[in-house]
Amino acid sequence: MSNKPLRHEVFPPVHEISIAENILQIAEAKAREQNARSIQLIKLRLGTFTTIVEEALQFAFEVCRQGTLAAEAILEIETVEMVTECMVCDSQAQPAHGICLICRTCGFPLRILAGEELRVEYIEVDLKQEESLSLPFQNEYQSRPMY
Amino acid sequence: MNLMSAPGAGKTTLLEATLRALHGEFRVAVIEGDLQTDLDAQRIQALGVPAFQITTGTVCHLDARMVARAMDSFPIDELDLLVIENVGNLICPASFDLGESLRIVVCSVAEGAEKPKKYPVMFNKADVILINKIDLAAASDVDLWQLEANIMDVNPKAILFALSSKTGAGLSAWTDWLKTAVQTRTSLPLAGTN
Repeated sequence: MSNKPLRHEVFPPVHEISIAENILQIAEAKAREQNARSIQLIKLRLGTFTTIVEEALQFAFEVCRQGTLAAEAILEIETVEMVTECMVCDSQAQPAHGICLICRTCGFPLRILAGEELRVEYIEVDLKQEESLSLPFQNEYQSRPMY
Repeated sequence: MNLMSAPGAGKTTLLEATLRALHGEFRVAVIEGDLQTDLDAQRIQALGVPAFQITTGTVCHLDARMVARAMDSFPIDELDLLVIENVGNLICPASFDLGESLRIVVCSVAEGAEKPKKYPVMFNKADVILINKIDLAAASDVDLWQLEANIMDVNPKAILFALSSKTGAGLSAWTDWLKTAVQTRTSLPLAGTN
């Protein structure tokens, strides 16, 4: 079953570009749903136990936002530190010690409670004036309209 | 299943050996990811296994959209196992969920014992970790116990197999496990549900 090779349409050197593109897709879809004129801010939660580098993501975002509803938007990144919890002993959630995911008290595996986040929390948009009051935001992306 | 490793860890050779072991028992197809060339797909096709090559250009990982498009090349409903051989890279592929139910990371002995500590996210997200090229342990001056201990530090729940695709040592333990896993797929832990 030979076939001609499939080529991806973008050509970035870093994976943060793919992530930035997807963040913009999520934000634009939500903004269009609300008939927004533009996106002012995108709030993102980003865990430290991911392979995504904040500086690289900001750079990728600046490149990718051109020509979108978010062309002037700020990408606000909230860093989420890694938190782990022992799956066996009753120890409270503890900050991960280095990268060892074995409980220091009892030697059993630790569960990762936080630090793997990559999530668009909300967006702030400019609404078209006549519709600005009539369209409440719904579902998981909370949004704070700006006037 | 999503097969990942650093470049040169021996993913394709290991996959060839694995496919030979599954031959006749399971209906398998392979999606190959590389920046350039369809050399890997050719190697898989030479075994009589359907293979589709994705060339990413300069993109350092496969993402779900690329895999979704490639899946159109196969009669998915008639397969027992779809293998995705990711781009050789220990960083980005860890962050891109391809919809797989099994994440396999291959780590060759020749890479040294410290790789799990240097790339914890990749090793943490693996269901199974295959330590490859154990025939080179002495030549590489690598302590296998240390490598295993470093893997367990970042992923205490990983299933480990030490093997050599070249000599065949340890290979059947892995392929037997995989056969059972495919047969009992529904009872498997899904990737990403730690």
